[in-house]
Amino acid sequence: MSAGRPVRRWLTGVGFLLPNIAGFCAFTLAPLVMSFALAFSNWDILRHNLFRKDAIRFVGLGNFSRLFSDLQFWRDLGNTLFFLLGLPFAIAGSLAAALLLAQVNRRRVSTGSALVVATVVLVFSGLVLLSGGMAQRGVVFLFGTMAAAVLVSGVLTGGTLYRTLFYIPHFTAGVATFVLWKKLYNPHTGPINAALRPLLDGFSSAVCAWPGFFALGVPALAGCAMVLLALVQVRRLRRRWDDGEAGAAAVAAGILALAGPAMVFLHWHGMGTGIAGGLAGTVGVALFGAIVRRPRRWGPIPTNDAGLGSELSLALIGVPLLLLLAGAIRAGPTLPAIAALGIDPPDWLGDYAWAKPALMLMALWAAIGSNSMILFLAGLSNIPPELYEAADMDGASAGQRFWNITWPQLAPVTFFIAVMGVINGLQGGFEMARTMTLGGPAGSTTTLSYFIFTEGFEIGRLGYASAVAWVMFALVLVFTLLNFRFGNRDAND
Amino acid sequence: MKRFFLISVLVLTAASAALYWTRPENRGTATVLYWMTQNDPVKRETVALFRQWLVDQGLPPVDVIIDHSNQDVTKKLVQGVSGVGGDLIDLYFCELETMQSTGMLADLTDEAPAAGYAASTTYPAIVSDFTVQGRQYGYPRNVDMTMCWVNRDTFARFAQPEPPRQWSWDEFEERGRRFVAAANPPGTRQRIYYLNRVWPPVLRRGLGLTTFNETGTRCTLDDPRNAEVFRRVRRWTVDEHLLPTVADQASMLADGTAYDSSFGLFAAGRFAMIYEGLWALIRLRPLGEFKLGAVEPFTGGFKNMEIASGAVAVYAGSKHPGAARQFIRFLASEPFNLLVARSGDSMPPLPEFGRHEAFLHPPGFEGDWETKAAFARAGTTIGLAQSKSPFVLPSVVLKIDTDMLQTVIAGRLSPEDAAKEEAERINGEIALTISQDAALRREYERRLEVQRRIEARRAAGEGVPAAWIRDPFHLAYYRAQGWLEKTEGAP
Repeated sequence: MSAGRPVRRWLTGVGFLLPNIAGFCAFTLAPLVMSFALAFSNWDILRHNLFRKDAIRFVGLGNFSRLFSDLQFWRDLGNTLFFLLGLPFAIAGSLAAALLLAQVNRRRVSTGSALVVATVVLVFSGLVLLSGGMAQRGVVFLFGTMAAAVLVSGVLTGGTLYRTLFYIPHFTAGVATFVLWKKLYNPHTGPINAALRPLLDGFSSAVCAWPGFFALGVPALAGCAMVLLALVQVRRLRRRWDDGEAGAAAVAAGILALAGPAMVFLHWHGMGTGIAGGLAGTVGVALFGAIVRRPRRWGPIPTNDAGLGSELSLALIGVPLLLLLAGAIRAGPTLPAIAALGIDPPDWLGDYAWAKPALMLMALWAAIGSNSMILFLAGLSNIPPELYEAADMDGASAGQRFWNITWPQLAPVTFFIAVMGVINGLQGGFEMARTMTLGGPAGSTTTLSYFIFTEGFEIGRLGYASAVAWVMFALVLVFTLLNFRFGNRDAND
Repeated sequence: MKRFFLISVLVLTAASAALYWTRPENRGTATVLYWMTQNDPVKRETVALFRQWLVDQGLPPVDVIIDHSNQDVTKKLVQGVSGVGGDLIDLYFCELETMQSTGMLADLTDEAPAAGYAASTTYPAIVSDFTVQGRQYGYPRNVDMTMCWVNRDTFARFAQPEPPRQWSWDEFEERGRRFVAAANPPGTRQRIYYLNRVWPPVLRRGLGLTTFNETGTRCTLDDPRNAEVFRRVRRWTVDEHLLPTVADQASMLADGTAYDSSFGLFAAGRFAMIYEGLWALIRLRPLGEFKLGAVEPFTGGFKNMEIASGAVAVYAGSKHPGAARQFIRFLASEPFNLLVARSGDSMPPLPEFGRHEAFLHPPGFEGDWETKAAFARAGTTIGLAQSKSPFVLPSVVLKIDTDMLQTVIAGRLSPEDAAKEEAERINGEIALTISQDAALRREYERRLEVQRRIEARRAAGEGVPAAWIRDPFHLAYYRAQGWLEKTEGAP
């Protein structure tokens, strides 16, 4: 820029900035301030508008206090938080995708072996086609051919195709994707159930052939897995406590992650909620006491909340897994009877129990190849190779390299992704539910953002809707602060 | 870069100018009205006929543009209160009260008698569809009754008896079970259903129950009869598969909404019957030749049927209120009523055209004659308007009702608990409304007093004056039970 008088330069600068500032003020700042004011008013679009100018009254905290007795609000908040449970899986998926893509970039897969794999897949698909006929096995053939095509193309393009494929969901228009998934989820004609049906038929046949194994063996295996996981968790908590990596709060969170599913398990097996809770709680407290009374072996004594973020993150993955195992124990004995009647694939979007997981699964698909994956890829490329070389010289295994180098080095990226994921998760869900389920069945997929839309624009209570929006903002803030408080220790290290 | 920026600005400016000058308003001298309605052949014919009618009346020309992309209730509401609503607004089920409460609908009460479109010129049963508390906000463009359409070919294909003209819900269940078993071979996925949907308010009325009490001051759905309706609908959907679930409907779709698809599925024999209004003829006629019939909705006792109208209102912020009112006048004219009569778009708004040959025996549509006669007969004998309360929006009631029924079908609540929660939620909405609106609060107090008197009389076994009862169902039910006072009087 040419040098001129300071005032003129300042005016030029402001001139360039003005359109943006004006736009921000008009479309962001003003609505924000206005919605804050509205949250304390009784503004109802039906009574306060261009044609009907009833006085808008200040109602203080009335809208907020109403929230507490509004069953719909609590149900929709519960749905929103439930959808948030998919976040750890989305982060894990993005990281796994980034790691795989980084591997493809680092070491090009041998063209010859890849082609062999692709050929095998194609031949197998062809055999399936021949044995069953196109009509019955068409979907299987389609998937097989597509997988082979992706594999071959990936080999030929050296991973560029994979990166593009993974990223496609992110830049595809949301509504188009939702409509596509709606077709995929179609219980009778969708390809997902078409692919599941032969698998479930095979599973039913297997259950009918070995009813004893499935009725007793599966629950026994699931039970063993539960016990094993519990032992691993207790041992891990004890070691982290001994090493000074975990404080009392972290140990408590880790124990709670075990006690919660245990309580549910006991309740499912006929125990009253109180007794089940008491029993699981007593064992949990005993375990907690046994761990935190142990003397520490190393270094300075950590604060109580040290390591809490890691424990909470692990709990988000561990608790659903334990519940799944508990479910297997419960369902096992009834499997032969169910299989005798035939197991139908889920009614994904029409069944109350399946609608939420179906939407989560779709969101997971979109999240794995999103910006998170790009950020992880960038983070991976920034890890100094000397660290891996040093680990190799020390004889570290692949797992040790990941846990001791990759994961800690990616901590700042993971933290950022987690924060953004929580914010987007709490605010999102509207387009998805509106397009795919209209919030149903029976409100099972209505999120807070959908609730705000309904209250504001279908019923017209803009004051109340604004209050809900600000409560949502408060939730985002609290979650973000918690993330900053407990989640970024490794990042700062 | 500068050049690129400049060219972009010039192109955008030119495009904006071109857009402005090619707007319908700037293309000619005629006044342009925007009509927020569906874009179907009858509406297009209505527009052409209106233009001709203006010429015949010696009135200045008016162009009506059908704005079907903004007919969603949310869009109508938001655009309306923002001052950019369409000049003519179609009002469907539940929408009148929402729009009227905003003040965005022009009050036509005072001018209606002189202009020839007073409420008294149409069927008394549908007056509540375009009037609120005695004030008129529109005029019907058709009068619709909802019955069970029967695809007689489908029944013949599976050698099943067609339903009788009048039937009970037990008969529906028994016949439906047999039909579904015959139409869907064992071991195959169910493809054919007996009926596409049911309407719980009609079923409730069959048991002597409706959404509100006599004065609209309280929701009365916390009642074993409502639970019984929920239980039956769940059984028909989940256990007997006489009706499709939402997912079943979705799986049968190729395109469009579940609602739109019903007609195609009905014509294709996937639904033996559909529960729709007479206006369905517009959709069914283009779907080919098949034998149609219509039977009254089944109930658990008290025979009743839904009667409603599609009304057109004038937007209070219209730039052309005079031209818009001419359109309302046109709705009460002979040419328009004859158009509705022969088109199949329900019944014409003027009762005399419901008895007209053009309606009963439209030439070229001989297959419809019997059906139309069935609708006309049922409409005059068992047709009842929707139950409404001025203290809660009908759209909110519908949303809660749908939500609760879905909850029962999903097995999340027992029918009894759902009935209880439904009443609690609707009564909560009533309490909220009267706490925020002083005028409505006064009206509520007044009606509450009337309600107390009604209940006292009922408890004493005395008759109740008909003028005390605001709800159309209660009025008909009281009359049928002989609970009305012989000499009627206002409280």
